[in-house]
Amino acid sequence: MFSEIAKKHADACRYCWMCRHLCPIGLKTGKEVNTPRAKGLLVAMNERGFGMDESMAEVMYECLLCDSCTNDCVTGFEPPIFIREARTEAVVNDLVPSYVQKVIDRIVETGNMFGLPAEEKWAALKDEVATLPDKAEVLLYVGNTAAYKTPEVAKAVISLFKHAGVSFTVLKNELSSGIELGDLIGFVEDVRIMAKACAAAINEVGAKTVVVLDTYDATCFKHEYPIWGCEIKADVATTTTFIAELIRDGRLAFKKKEAVVTYHDGARLARNLDEHEPARELIAETGATLKEMFLNRRLAKCCGNELVSQYRPDLTLLTAEGRWTDAKRTGAKMLITACPQAYNVLKKTVSTDMELKDLFVLLNDCIK
Amino acid sequence: MEHKAFMYDMIRTELEDIVGIENVSIREADKITYGVDYFWIPRMWADRGEKPPFADYIVWPDTAEQISKIIKIANYYKIPVHTWGGGSGSQGGALPMAGGILLDTKRMNRLIEIDEESHTITAETGMIFQQLEWYANERGYSCMHIPSCLTCGTIGGALAHRGIGIMSTKYGKIDDQCISMEVVLPNGEIINTLPVPKHAAGPDLNQIFIGSEGTLGIMTKATFKLFQLPESRQFRAFLFPDITSGLAAGRDILQKVKPSILRLFDEAETTSIIKNVLGFEQKGCFMNLAVEGIKKIVDIEMEIICDICAKYDANDLGSEYGEKWYRNRVTFFYPGNIMDIPQMFGTMDTVATYKNVEKIYWAMKHAVEDNFPGVRYIAHCSHWYEWGTMIYDRFIMDHPPEDPEEAIRLHNQIWNAGVRAAIKNGGVINDHHGIGLKLSRLMKEQYGPAMQVMEGLKRSLDPNGIMNPYKLGL
Repeated sequence: MFSEIAKKHADACRYCWMCRHLCPIGLKTGKEVNTPRAKGLLVAMNERGFGMDESMAEVMYECLLCDSCTNDCVTGFEPPIFIREARTEAVVNDLVPSYVQKVIDRIVETGNMFGLPAEEKWAALKDEVATLPDKAEVLLYVGNTAAYKTPEVAKAVISLFKHAGVSFTVLKNELSSGIELGDLIGFVEDVRIMAKACAAAINEVGAKTVVVLDTYDATCFKHEYPIWGCEIKADVATTTTFIAELIRDGRLAFKKKEAVVTYHDGARLARNLDEHEPARELIAETGATLKEMFLNRRLAKCCGNELVSQYRPDLTLLTAEGRWTDAKRTGAKMLITACPQAYNVLKKTVSTDMELKDLFVLLNDCIK
Repeated sequence: MEHKAFMYDMIRTELEDIVGIENVSIREADKITYGVDYFWIPRMWADRGEKPPFADYIVWPDTAEQISKIIKIANYYKIPVHTWGGGSGSQGGALPMAGGILLDTKRMNRLIEIDEESHTITAETGMIFQQLEWYANERGYSCMHIPSCLTCGTIGGALAHRGIGIMSTKYGKIDDQCISMEVVLPNGEIINTLPVPKHAAGPDLNQIFIGSEGTLGIMTKATFKLFQLPESRQFRAFLFPDITSGLAAGRDILQKVKPSILRLFDEAETTSIIKNVLGFEQKGCFMNLAVEGIKKIVDIEMEIICDICAKYDANDLGSEYGEKWYRNRVTFFYPGNIMDIPQMFGTMDTVATYKNVEKIYWAMKHAVEDNFPGVRYIAHCSHWYEWGTMIYDRFIMDHPPEDPEEAIRLHNQIWNAGVRAAIKNGGVINDHHGIGLKLSRLMKEQYGPAMQVMEGLKRSLDPNGIMNPYKLGL
């Protein structure tokens, strides 16, 4: 059963082609089902007696939920609303593709999409984490991708915090925010229960600020938690804004390095959190010359994310390749990201003539 | 058919062998999606829970060579091939009415070359036109093909139905902008038109394939003109007492200067759509225009235009509404602003000489409003030439019949009445949306004995009649 709001949005989108040029998956596969209008049409047909079959369920998982379509819509329609609900429908009707179900099962079992044991979350960061106190003014929420897959990014952030003299800690038992499960099965009660547990663990630290490294978690904390009744009793900041603030306060300084770089605005940061300038301020601190991609800030094309990479790696290879192509056209020698998921996805198709660098790693390399 | 399943799988295997397993689909989700384009009838069907037309196979080729092989298979088995670009056409041109193969070109979306010396850009035709425009913009150019469907349709789609953009009055239609192209013929041969369109080496091959709607072959690459972004673009809006004075002013303007945009709205559209989107609330006929290029020239052109409009008692509204229209030029087409199901609607655009155009406007208005109770008619003129202009006229019925068959019959009757009124008074069957399935039946009425030229081409190039059956009257 789709909600009235989902039905309304699907009915509006089903015969509208206006945003189809922005879907990063559709642009690479060329398939008509990889457009918001096709997904709206399928939901609308489902509501008109066609019913959902396995192929329709598959199509609903061929979406990054990157909100590029939503951002384009001048009359305010949001395809992710009905796409998420269609995923719930797929779960309810036992139509979830087997390759997606495996990832859902992993999250339920281990709390992360990789299916890695929770006790191994800090394995690559044990030296950095071991000496941190139980309580501090700042809580760094690292997230699953940085902890398990790109620990170099988390190490760089921890190093920057230490250089700036930040009183901080991490959760020794860091629970998932719930966004991974929410993006796969929709925003249902199971997800809210996961979120509530995460919020309680965060609140227990008593920090004044929670600095969130993964922009997917940050979006969830800022936008979904209040709706789900999972209050975080601290200010929630992205890592980019927090470090930019440290620099403004004179707590960090950098050696200037000559480089010509371009910056990939992550979908969550740029569109859901509407944050564009702090990352650019940080890049300027390194002395690098920034050459913007044609589609930047709110218009940035999503490169893919780690969640979709877990069940359709073929799709994220395509979307990452699409963003690399945009980056290369700038003539820059380095592509900079500010989200562990974007970094890890782009890393899988790394360009031979262009370097990929995480912003915090770059900053840490330049620290005085 | 005997052995249907056997042959069905045999053909599927052969197609997979060409493009890869992942690029052939027989999934229900794909079939539904390719069964509904922007044409009113499949939208109405889908809204009422009716099954849209299904292709048997959907294929996504990556090269012209793959298309060639697919077409050879289709010829061998004598199964239809329907070419799909963006699927945003309003005439049903891409619908797989005869089943068979639906060939989606959108994987073929590579930029091939920007020639900054000659000011040309070359790309594969599966590219969404907005992407091509962005590639041009990155280098400081524009293709100046800016239709409302810029973000919806492909290069191939624009060519296939002789599309037009809002800047056409200065920069031309797609058929003026295309320099050359690569085409896969219905026998699978890959050909190129001549490197330039202006020559004395016989008829221009480009113009045989532009507008052919997938019935004579599949265009796979195309080269277009590039224009430098203008140094100055000035907007102006005017309010005319009536359509007669507005048309006369438009004619005089075009016979002296070349605006990039010139749009004249009739009273019904001025007091409905223009009022809703721009907040302009006066009776009369609203005109907005733009002049662009080198500033010194633009200043003079605007002065001439203001003099002409004053001569026809137009109220000069200044630049504000013109700029506002430009900013909102696609806002009109988003859900909530554009006509949509459950309404019945259609755009009966035609084009004619200045001598005939007002006569056609009234003839079409009467044909629609006098014969079909509850149907409204609104119109504007948005693409102008030295010799005439087009009428973008639309009918809207808020409460069409519930029964799908009854609704389709009424829909076709309204179209017949409107288009026949245009043809009878010196207009043509369509200006820039194409023919497709919607108007196919009226092509012979339009062309008379001249239709044999197109029929001869069709028989010669596509003897098995596999290419997009039931479209374009062929």
